[in-house]
Amino acid sequence: MRKQSNQPKKVNPTGANTAHKPNALNSYFSHHQKTYKSTFKQLIEQPLASFFTCAVIGIAFVLPALLAILLSNIQSVQHNWDGSAQITLFLKKGVPALDGGILSEKIAKRQSITSSLFVDNDAALVEFKERFELQDAVDYLDENPLPHVILVQPDKSLKSIQHIEQIKNNLLKFPEVEGALLDVMWVQRLNSITQVLQRTTWVIALMLGLAIILILGNTIRLAIENRKEEITVVKLVGGTNAFVRRPFLYMGAFYGFGGSLIAWILINLTLFMLNEPIQDLAHSYQSTFNLSGFSFESTLLLLILGMSLGWFGSWLAVRKHLDDIEPT
Amino acid sequence: MIEFQNVMKRYQDGYEALQDVSFSMDRSEMAFLTGHSGAGKSTLLKLIMLMERTTKGHVTVGGQNLSQIPQRQIPYFRRHIGVVFQNHRLLYDRSVFDNVALPLEISGTNPREVGRRVRAALDKVGLLSKEKLTPIQLSGGEQQRVGIARAVVNKPPLLLADEPTGNLDPELSEEIMTLFSEFNQVGVTVLIASHDLALISHMKHRVIEINDGRMVSHA
Repeated sequence: MRKQSNQPKKVNPTGANTAHKPNALNSYFSHHQKTYKSTFKQLIEQPLASFFTCAVIGIAFVLPALLAILLSNIQSVQHNWDGSAQITLFLKKGVPALDGGILSEKIAKRQSITSSLFVDNDAALVEFKERFELQDAVDYLDENPLPHVILVQPDKSLKSIQHIEQIKNNLLKFPEVEGALLDVMWVQRLNSITQVLQRTTWVIALMLGLAIILILGNTIRLAIENRKEEITVVKLVGGTNAFVRRPFLYMGAFYGFGGSLIAWILINLTLFMLNEPIQDLAHSYQSTFNLSGFSFESTLLLLILGMSLGWFGSWLAVRKHLDDIEPT
Repeated sequence: MIEFQNVMKRYQDGYEALQDVSFSMDRSEMAFLTGHSGAGKSTLLKLIMLMERTTKGHVTVGGQNLSQIPQRQIPYFRRHIGVVFQNHRLLYDRSVFDNVALPLEISGTNPREVGRRVRAALDKVGLLSKEKLTPIQLSGGEQQRVGIARAVVNKPPLLLADEPTGNLDPELSEEIMTLFSEFNQVGVTVLIASHDLALISHMKHRVIEINDGRMVSHA
């Protein structure tokens, strides 16, 4: 017996759209995938033009990024300033070395003081002679011109300069003490400089961010002009504005990504070139300061920021120019 | 399927393309829209696919009053109408296959389904073997057939054509018109704007004539 299908063949007399319901999400993602692939291909097919656009964006990124790195390095210096917040007490002439030693011990026992060191004026003179090779000059002196000195190290947990200033004033009240020196002026100055730099960085970053958006907006506008016919056709056969926008948004994001990649290379190159002179400078201050570069997080941030700016710039351009293109 | 009720269209520059147009077309009907150039044929088609809006009167398509369709719904409405243009409006930077696949891609058809449907449409217009070529490698008549394949790939219930044979010689024109008749025979409503009176007269379909923005006859 011949097996026969008793199900009649489906006929579609009206020719209307009765095909299987498409898997909407699946086709949505597949379209996204197709769009970014074809957009990437378009950019690759014009390597020079794409590179120039990315390079402009990259260079615009470099300046604020370098300033930000400089700033974070300065701030790390500030966090380590406590080692330098040493109070030097000069004792009055005629105070015997013994009394100076007792005073030093008394100070060391105080709260908010970590340690205190008495420096005998004879020892200081010997060190002075040795360090500065002034043997002959010092020998001409009748008496030791240096006072006894107590080096006081305030508690490291004290971060505010006002607080340490106050400790210095309290120490001045000892009758044996002639004067006191707190060498924190440079920290205060650095603080002000940092603030100026911080604002400058923000202003420059803002302006160059704006520039990036404008550059991209213009590039995308040209791309839209070039594909006007395609946009018209897509709209005629039922393409939504979102569908038409998509490739241009991808294009903006790609430009932004390429730009931040170029910026990353330029920044690391700059840091590499700066590292040696900065090491030399740090050595001259007996510091082991190390220029900290670009961490993984910062790199990621830069790339994401670049892509977002690119996307946003192109979104603005697309909003302004694309929706205006209506088929006629 | 299509109904025009006292439709008036005045463009922004004051030009009145249509003055008082009323007619209707049944489902699965095929008709020619004729009139000298500038009579308002293109404007009438543009009103049907919402490329323009009426100044006065109503246009109803598939039971839907077009003046009630908001701007953002227009793309979805257009997916139910296939359109063929005189200058084809193909995209020359992509293959014949991709051109025909465009409406499916836009409407979010399952990627596996796309290939099957595109080839069915190309087979129907006799260009299955040329799917990998770009439109520039095809003759004028072939390009127009790609345009038709793109218009029908979504299986729209309504097919519009604006001077589809305008640039073709008589023989090719007849081929194209026969193709439209075949779609009509499987139930598609077809409205073709054309001033090729010789061709129209022996096609034996309804003729809607407009002159200076007014109906002349719709018998």
